[in-house]
Amino acid sequence: MRTTRRSVLGAGVAGTAILAAPAVWPARAQPSAKGTVRAVMHGDVPTFDPIWTTANMAAYHGNMVYDTLFGIDDQVRPQPQMVGRHGLSDDQLTFTMELRDGLKWSDGTDVTARDCVASLRRWAARDGAGQHMMERVADISARDARTIVIKLKEPYGLITDAMAKTSTPICFMMREKEAMTDPMQKIETIVGSGPFLFNERETRPGSQYVYDRNPNYRPRSEPPSWIAGGKVVHVERVIFQNMPDVQTAIAALQAGEVDYVEQPPIDTVPALEADPDIALQDRNPLGNVGWIRLNFLHPPFNNVKARQAVLWAVDQEAHLKATFVDRRFYQPCGSFLTCGTPYESDANTEWFKRGPDRAKARQLLQESGYKGEPVTLLQATNILYMTNAAQILAQELRAIGMNIQMVPMDWSGVVQRRAVKAPPDQGGWNIFITSADGLSSSNPIWAAAHAATGERGWFGWPSDELHERLRDEWVKAPDLETRQKVTHRLQENAWNFVPHVYYGQWRTPVAHRKNVTGWINSPGVVPFWNVKKA
Amino acid sequence: MIAYIIRRLLATIPVMLLVAVIVFLLVHLAPGDPASVIAGDNATSDQIAAIRATLGLDRPLWEQFAIWIWRVLQGDLGQSLFWNRGVAELILQRAEPTVSLAITTLIFAVSIAIGLGVLAAWKAGSGIDRSVMGLAVAGFSVPVFVVGYLLVYLFAIELRWLPVQGYRPIAQGFWPWLERLILPSVALGLAYLALIARITRTTMLEILSEDYIRTAQAKGVATRPMLFRHALKNAAVPIVTVVGIGVALLISGVVITETVFNIPGIGRLVVDAITRRDYPIIQGVMLVFSAIYVLVNLAVDLSYTLFDPRVRY
Repeated sequence: MRTTRRSVLGAGVAGTAILAAPAVWPARAQPSAKGTVRAVMHGDVPTFDPIWTTANMAAYHGNMVYDTLFGIDDQVRPQPQMVGRHGLSDDQLTFTMELRDGLKWSDGTDVTARDCVASLRRWAARDGAGQHMMERVADISARDARTIVIKLKEPYGLITDAMAKTSTPICFMMREKEAMTDPMQKIETIVGSGPFLFNERETRPGSQYVYDRNPNYRPRSEPPSWIAGGKVVHVERVIFQNMPDVQTAIAALQAGEVDYVEQPPIDTVPALEADPDIALQDRNPLGNVGWIRLNFLHPPFNNVKARQAVLWAVDQEAHLKATFVDRRFYQPCGSFLTCGTPYESDANTEWFKRGPDRAKARQLLQESGYKGEPVTLLQATNILYMTNAAQILAQELRAIGMNIQMVPMDWSGVVQRRAVKAPPDQGGWNIFITSADGLSSSNPIWAAAHAATGERGWFGWPSDELHERLRDEWVKAPDLETRQKVTHRLQENAWNFVPHVYYGQWRTPVAHRKNVTGWINSPGVVPFWNVKKA
Repeated sequence: MIAYIIRRLLATIPVMLLVAVIVFLLVHLAPGDPASVIAGDNATSDQIAAIRATLGLDRPLWEQFAIWIWRVLQGDLGQSLFWNRGVAELILQRAEPTVSLAITTLIFAVSIAIGLGVLAAWKAGSGIDRSVMGLAVAGFSVPVFVVGYLLVYLFAIELRWLPVQGYRPIAQGFWPWLERLILPSVALGLAYLALIARITRTTMLEILSEDYIRTAQAKGVATRPMLFRHALKNAAVPIVTVVGIGVALLISGVVITETVFNIPGIGRLVVDAITRRDYPIIQGVMLVFSAIYVLVNLAVDLSYTLFDPRVRY
């Protein structure tokens, strides 16, 4: 090709145009509209019925449009929310709640005690804590339009705790019309009495969910604390934007197109910290707890020595560092109930203080009679922390002589296969990795996985009579001090029979634009009341 | 011609039935359970079983297939397992972004690719030819999501010329609609552009060596009419064929592009459905995509009559 004066001039003009383009086409700023908060949550809302499912995103939706009788505060204490006066009778067998003034459904009708009775019954049919409570309840009734009465068969110390909890399904109140729906069927109509109204017209399932401020909501006068206290809404609209690609969400946050990203990947934290317009905040003080579930129904984990071997083999630090990198975001924890709660304990945690100890783990495995049979480990490849934890666990267990066979699949595949009780070579499993929020893990009743009721219980089906007796004792404990003592015994026993193993506790920060302030911390759900946008 | 169109349309029925059977089996035999996803992590086996029964997923596979195919034959694609909305309604709701993205990508890719292909053929062996072919190789080799992230970084985050993500309906204004489609169209269109540019160049090289082109040149026909009126029209049949075949490339690319650029189109709908095993949506979208592909190929076949008068149906 010949170089001519014309081609040189042409190239010069083109180059100048490219370099000058930023000045000609000025940079655009795209802040989302004032009064509208756009939030990218960790997933999609799978259904609008937060009772029908335990999926967290359904609870997030419920938290916007529905209210609760009680709400848990930052001291992990239940506080009245829709309820005004309330109390337990002297014989501790009748609990009475009176609805506070001014509660209205979004269709304009009054919230009545009948609505709440029906809501309580439907919730209790689907929730582990609710079922536990209902076994001790003789009757729930509406004494008059505003008074709900729960009659108990025996004293039960967790009534308000169960109604206040943020672990799913949350005890949301609905109209009697919806609450009378079969608990196994989804509700279709969304009428709540919460601080936001669901804007169905502008919602696009799978894409965006729109919530407008409820002008008729009357918040409590107390300051907000977790999901308790006054739910004062300062913005006109909140939009949950479903963005499956978290890198896109981060880019959108940096460009000001969204205001909040719930779960930025840890490897983006340095870049976000360096951005003057973005703040990182730890909003879930109890974080999450990583669980390693062992299948009690089949060898080798039907033998306690094999389970103890896993307990001694797991190095929580290695697991946590691999995914959460920075010590600010994780902590190894040997407590059976979540660290950082009143129930944190160091009873029987020699395995944690001295461990990991591979020699001891290998010895325990030999004592279990393990002969090198394949051990099936389900690996959810589409969830980073789970896939990392499975990889590391496989190495740890191979190092003590276990013949680990990893079965990679997506999380949906894991949740299907974990329900299979057949032996691993017939479609079952030996180990899977999961996690639970720190609040539900802190309570032996709230987390279904804490039960040791055998095949009636949660996947892994641990069984231990003493554990069940202690869980029952824990519920009946009259005060915190007694409950802590029971917790101590519960933990001593748990780390002997090993219902499951933990791989640590972590908190992932949220990222938000600095012009959006007033965020309330809470485990389990994300409150959007009290949030202001400048 | 009309008889040919009717024959071709009738021939699509067994194809669509085969697609329906394959899609249904693939979706249902793959591991995963929508009931488990719906029930959430705290649910017990009994709760999951109850949801499965509610959704009819506990019925034998043949029965589920019979129910679904009977509804499809009546024009009903079924209900989403998660949203209690009709699959057809959800697809229609998501159609505009996908159709918009497909149109802008087609315009971007075809208009540039044909020009580049003709230029490369005209300047065969030159630096221009090598540059165009280098661009084509790069466009074909680099995955859509890599191009997408690079474009976002440069044009949305660094320069802030264009938005990172999202979609605005055209009813809200032409520019807001277009500005959100520029980066996705470029990211999605590069591979398509490369494919069309290469086939255009190859076909044009063949045509340009024909005697009638040499005669036209000898008679003093100017370059532009010679290239575009005489040569390109005769090269159109293979190019249009590749444009049609490329629709499959476009469909698969739409799925990734809509995810990277957060465009709430049919591609995103099906990705989300696959993640949570929303069988009716997966099956419905696959059927619709298959139908589109069959119809595009029919349109391509019919278009041959426009470019080559010798072709008759």
